[in-house]
Amino acid sequence: MSVQKVWSLFDRSQLYECYECSRCSGSCPVTLSEVGLGPRKILLRCLQQGEEAVVKDPMIWYCTTCQVCQDRCPQEIDIPELLTGLRNMASTRGNMPERVKFSVEKIAKTGRSVLAFRIERERQRYGLPELTEINTEEIVALLTETGFFRDLKITP
Amino acid sequence: MHVTKEKTRPKSEDQARVGVFVCHCGLNIGGTVDVPQVAERAADLPGVVFSSSNLYTCSEPGQEEIKKAIREHNLNRVVVASCTPRLHEPTFRAACAEAGLNPYLFEMANIREHCSWVHLHDKEPATEKAMDIVRMAVARARLLEPQIEAVVPVTNRALIIGGGVAGIQAALDLADEGFKVYLVERGASIGGRMAQIDKTFPTMDCSICILAPKMAEVGRHKNITLLTMSEVVGLEGYIGNFRVKVHKKPRYVTDQCTSCGDCVKDCPQLAPDEFNEGLSTRRAIHIPFAQSVPSSYVIDMDLCLNKEGILACDKCLQACKAHCIDFAQGEEDMEIEVGAIIVATGVDVYDPTPLTEMGYRRFPNVITSLEFERLINAGGPSQGHLIRPSDQKIPKKVAFLQCIGSRSTRANKYCSNVCCMNTIKNSLLIKEHWPETEIKVFYIDIRAFGKGFEDLYRRARREGVEFIRGIPGEIIEDPSTQNLVLIGENMHLGEWYKYEVDMAILSVGLEPRADSKYLQQLLNLSVGRDGFFLEAHPKLRPVDTATGGIFLAGCAEGPKDIKDSVTQASAAASRASILLNRGEVTIAAISASIDPDACTGCGMCISVCPYKAIRKDEETGKAVVIQASCAGCGTCAAECRFEAVNMQHFSDVQLYSQIKAATVEEPETKILAFCCNWCSYAGADFAGVSRIQYPTQARIIRTMCSGRVSMDFIRYAFARGVGAVLVSGCHPADCHYINANVQTEKRVKNIWKELQKKGLTPDRLQLAWISAAEGQRFASVISKTTEILSRITFREIEKTKEAYRKYLKKGE
Repeated sequence: MSVQKVWSLFDRSQLYECYECSRCSGSCPVTLSEVGLGPRKILLRCLQQGEEAVVKDPMIWYCTTCQVCQDRCPQEIDIPELLTGLRNMASTRGNMPERVKFSVEKIAKTGRSVLAFRIERERQRYGLPELTEINTEEIVALLTETGFFRDLKITP
Repeated sequence: MHVTKEKTRPKSEDQARVGVFVCHCGLNIGGTVDVPQVAERAADLPGVVFSSSNLYTCSEPGQEEIKKAIREHNLNRVVVASCTPRLHEPTFRAACAEAGLNPYLFEMANIREHCSWVHLHDKEPATEKAMDIVRMAVARARLLEPQIEAVVPVTNRALIIGGGVAGIQAALDLADEGFKVYLVERGASIGGRMAQIDKTFPTMDCSICILAPKMAEVGRHKNITLLTMSEVVGLEGYIGNFRVKVHKKPRYVTDQCTSCGDCVKDCPQLAPDEFNEGLSTRRAIHIPFAQSVPSSYVIDMDLCLNKEGILACDKCLQACKAHCIDFAQGEEDMEIEVGAIIVATGVDVYDPTPLTEMGYRRFPNVITSLEFERLINAGGPSQGHLIRPSDQKIPKKVAFLQCIGSRSTRANKYCSNVCCMNTIKNSLLIKEHWPETEIKVFYIDIRAFGKGFEDLYRRARREGVEFIRGIPGEIIEDPSTQNLVLIGENMHLGEWYKYEVDMAILSVGLEPRADSKYLQQLLNLSVGRDGFFLEAHPKLRPVDTATGGIFLAGCAEGPKDIKDSVTQASAAASRASILLNRGEVTIAAISASIDPDACTGCGMCISVCPYKAIRKDEETGKAVVIQASCAGCGTCAAECRFEAVNMQHFSDVQLYSQIKAATVEEPETKILAFCCNWCSYAGADFAGVSRIQYPTQARIIRTMCSGRVSMDFIRYAFARGVGAVLVSGCHPADCHYINANVQTEKRVKNIWKELQKKGLTPDRLQLAWISAAEGQRFASVISKTTEILSRITFREIEKTKEAYRKYLKKGE
């Protein structure tokens, strides 16, 4: 199933609950890293400019889905779900940034989002056992089921 | 007026000569319902001799037309199809009375709140529904009987519950008018929240300076009996004649107390001082605050070492030279009789502890706005020096955070009304004493809507108070300095901020008293969705409650500032004095009577009467109603298996005729909804006023109480082939007839069992508790029942009709 509309994942009527207090933006760890995500602005842009305008914005890929914004929202708006919806929609349009695509492909191939040789040395230093091989069959099956390869036009 | 039809019928055929007046109400009804068509078709209903439509029936010409038609066509019943009887029934009853018709021969068909406003886009079904509503009203009207209303005297005294500024104002107004007033206050002193506040906005008056003279006046007024340490624990009676039970706790200090304070020094027991919001301590023997009225000390027995008559410590006793300490004082129960009651119980303040990101209680320098009031007040714990709790230093940078606990689905959904102006006032107070202080106000919207408010807001900006749009996401404490770091978005600049301040003040909202449910049930009040007591009408009866003789003042009705509280208190006092001055009140002629010939003396009615208003006559062995005690719920009539109880104005025949009229056309597509007058009928009205749209299937029958709905009404409806039946009433424990809705539940459960036994779908009988404030809930109950209706098969309907066939004769 490819996502045509973000509103199949996020109840659009929740947007009207927002009265711009900006507690979410003040709580966002991405804000603290000085990238300046600001969930509030994404909400407002969805409402006033439409989701099409937001889907193209690379900013949505910075969300860590830590859920702190939702936790503190006085109106209990499920902001991470909105971001997830927007990213799903962006992915099907081919708007997934290369570095994200790279990570997911890595997961499909190795079961890990980072390159194993980079962390092996660290692990040795702390006396941790060597990483074991991961059976990626299950992961590939899962990603196939979610439509990942089809929507992103990647061959598994 | 457009006269649709005039008919002459021989009098012998039909005693009733009904006139029907269908109202357009401008476009309110006429925009949705085909009014001329309804008037046309109404003319053909049995008993109707005159039918017309009118643009505004409630207008003076509209009423004149009714009077004229009564005279010219010799009408002896009048039906007006317009709005809810809760609005204009008194208007039309008066018009009928002026034309010489007994007002109880008037009936209203609610085709606005229950039809046109809730089916704005379904014109045809709405017209059909309006027609059904009119048919039901006409059927009932034909069987109406004239009633005589009883006139009872009014006790010319008033009770005021709550001694805050609203209660004080109402008490003084009524007492000055010459009425005897009882002012009941739970605490040891009157004064309420206003006594805790330092200055008032927008004039910056000293709060206690303007309140204390009024408090003292209450204390010495010859018409006011002040009952502190007292609570209302029982209420009986009705408008004009209430009997109130008051429980008074002992003070353990006699009236001779000179408030010298000698006793305090030696008291060994300490506790946080509630008046100072826990920012200082007090002894077990204490005076709430310097200006307390009565100006007398009080012993907190939960804290005192002397318990249950055992004298373990006599330090205060020894210290008091005037010998005012009396440990022998006991609790006191009294009963007072009053004609009117004013509820002025005030508000609680939101506790921001659950908002963990704000750090209240974790970080000492995060305080609430009410704690701030005590800190900046000269009579407070720091003698008016604004010090931060961690190191008692005067802060150089202060932040105010707005909307804490207000406008949130996590706390209270409403705006608390006073916090914006209170913060602006407080920022100016700081500037007045310490002009160098940096003040930042973090806000969402500044609501400076009242007289003089905008000026104060401007003044704050000119004095250098910074207003920053965007509430911080969190407050972090620097453990070394205990300073606070606020992080958030400055929306107007489109930038991120990170400010370090010495102190943060959370502008907390107001909420209903935690125990207001108790008083609500005791006085039979309604509450709105926000939890505050509900007024009878939001625009036109803003201080009345749905219960006659009980009025609202101050924050008990909703968050408001001092000026509005005082205004409302004077309004409530004025409303009460109309009742007290008149000296008599008419009581609606809705009560039960028992036909001794039909009564078998089984005693079932006696067992279900919530008012113990029915007794068994020792000689005849039959039930007799004590008219003065009967409130008219009708649960006795619903219980009686011998149809021996006659409910005036809500008789069995009248209700059967309505059920029959509702099920004339396509009954299988309809929901017959019994709604109690006080809660669910009002809830359906509220859905209308709010224009909440729901399916057109419901046909509403109003009863005073859901306890009036007998099992036979439901069985008869099913025998007539109705699709579904809804019985709705007040929420359990909110019943306006003590607990008559307990019987409702019992009866509905019985029918559920019966339906099951007969192999029918019990779902077709729905029971719902809907309050006057739950318009949305009423709509969703109808939607849900309509869904059930859509699954009912033709065969099921036929099977039900067959199963209940023998009940068909009930309605003949």
